Amino acid sequence: MTSIAHFALELKKFSPRGLKVASFAVAICTLAAAQSLPQVHLDASGLAPRPIEELTGTTIARHYALAWRDMAGALESGRSEVLSEEFTGVAKDRLVRRISEQNQAGVHVRIVDHGHQLKAVFYSTDGSAMQLVDQAQLEIQIFDGNKLIDTQNASLEYMVLMTPGADRWYVRDLEEVSAKTF
Amino acid sequence: MQRTSHINFPLRNRLAGLALLGLLSGWARAAELRVPATVEAGKSFSIAAEGSGQATFYLVGPDHVVKRSVALGSDLVIQSSDVRAAGRYRAILCSSSCTSAGFQVEAAKPAHLSFFLHPSRVPVSTPQSIDATAFVFDQYFNLVLTPAVVDFRITPASGAGFSRQSSARRGVAWMRLDSTPHEGRVQVTAVSDNTEEARVIQQVAAEACGLRMKAIPSGNAVTLETDPVRDCSGNALPDGTVVSFTKVDREGKSTVDTPIKKGIARVEFSLHGPAQIGVACGVVLGNEVALNGKL
Repeated sequence: MTSIAHFALELKKFSPRGLKVASFAVAICTLAAAQSLPQVHLDASGLAPRPIEELTGTTIARHYALAWRDMAGALESGRSEVLSEEFTGVAKDRLVRRISEQNQAGVHVRIVDHGHQLKAVFYSTDGSAMQLVDQAQLEIQIFDGNKLIDTQNASLEYMVLMTPGADRWYVRDLEEVSAKTF
Repeated sequence: MQRTSHINFPLRNRLAGLALLGLLSGWARAAELRVPATVEAGKSFSIAAEGSGQATFYLVGPDHVVKRSVALGSDLVIQSSDVRAAGRYRAILCSSSCTSAGFQVEAAKPAHLSFFLHPSRVPVSTPQSIDATAFVFDQYFNLVLTPAVVDFRITPASGAGFSRQSSARRGVAWMRLDSTPHEGRVQVTAVSDNTEEARVIQQVAAEACGLRMKAIPSGNAVTLETDPVRDCSGNALPDGTVVSFTKVDREGKSTVDTPIKKGIARVEFSLHGPAQIGVACGVVLGNEVALNGKL
C-alpha cells in the first residue's frame, strides 16, 4: 500500500520557575483510503522524569498510529503476522493469542478508529520505556461470521507501555482501563 | 383536531395494546446478561443469563475469545483462565437477538517486578546519579494500576545498607539515588509485596583528587611518575585511566597520554633546555614541575 503521511509537529516551550515543559501536538494523517493511519495527538507536557525529544515525540506518535492500524487490520482479517512490526512482548503475545482464538471461534472484530488523544505520563531517565494514556474514540463491531453480534461506539481509555527498538518504538503493553482508574 | 382524536381513539388503544403485548412477550423471551462491573484477573465468577432456551455465549477479551452454547436461565461460569488479562471484556449472548454487556478485569496483587537500574557503572559520591525504575505486574503480567509501595534496598559492598520507599503510580515506581562513597559492587533490590528483583551496579572511583607527580632525572631525559592516583574518597582510579603529561621546552609543546598501571602513571621525556611539565587526569590538573635543563 502506498501511503503519504504528513506529520505536523507543534512544539510549545515555556519556563515556569525555570522548568521547561514541552508539549507536542502531533497529527498524523494519510491520503490512503483503505488502511489509513488513525489520527494520533500526543501531549507530552509535564513529562517526567525525562523530557521528550522532538524526534522521539514524532516517532512515538507515528508508530502508535501504525500499531493501531495493524491491530485493526489483524483483528478484522484474522492474520497476526503484521503485528510483529509494531508490537512486542506481552502486547504481541496477547494479540496473537486473541486472533488465533477468534479464528477458531469464527469471530472477527472491526475497529472504526476516530482518533487518539495520547498523553505521555512517564519517560524513564535512560530512555528505555515510556508510559502513555490514550483516550481513543472507537467504534468496535464484533461479528460471528457475517453476523454483527455487538457494537460499541465509545470513548475508551488505554494504558500503553512503549519501548524503543533499533528503528522504532514498539507497543509492549496495551491495556484498556476504566476511566475511573486515574 | 378534537374530533379526529375522538374517532381514532379505539384504534390507537388497540395499537398500544398490541405494542405492549409484543414488548412483554419479547422481554420474556430475550436473553439478558448481568455482569459484575469489575473482576480480579484470574478469578472465576458467574454471569447470570436470564431467559429460556438455548443461546450462544461469546466472551471477547484482550487475549481470549470464548464461544459456546449455553442454556438460558442458569449462571454462566467464567473460568479463571478466561480472565487472566486485564482490560475490558465483552460478554455477548445471542438467541433470537443478541444482548451484550461489558466488564473490567483488573490486575491481581503484585507478583512480578520489571526493574531497571541505570547506569551500570557510576562514580562514587555522586548525588542523584542512580536511577531506579520498577514496573509492577501481577502474576499474569498485567500492570498493577492500584497504588503499591516499592521499597528500594541498597546494599553496598562495604558500609551499611539503607532503603528508600516509593509509591508506584500507574504501575511505575522510580527514584534517584546518590551513589555511596566507596567503590565496588552495589546491589539494589526492588521489593513490593512478596516479590523482589535485584540488580547490581558497579561504583567506580570519581575524578582524581590531589593529583601529584615527581620528576626523576636521568641524563638528558626525565622520568615523571605520579603518586597513586585516587579520588577524593580515597578510591584508586582504575588501571587504564588516561593521565596526560604536557612538556613545554625549547623544542615546543608535547603531550603524552599514558594509562594508569598498578595505580600510577609513568612517562619519560627527553629535555631540550629548561622545561615546564604539567600533569592532568580528566578535568583535574595536578602539580607542575619546572626543570632548568641541567639534569
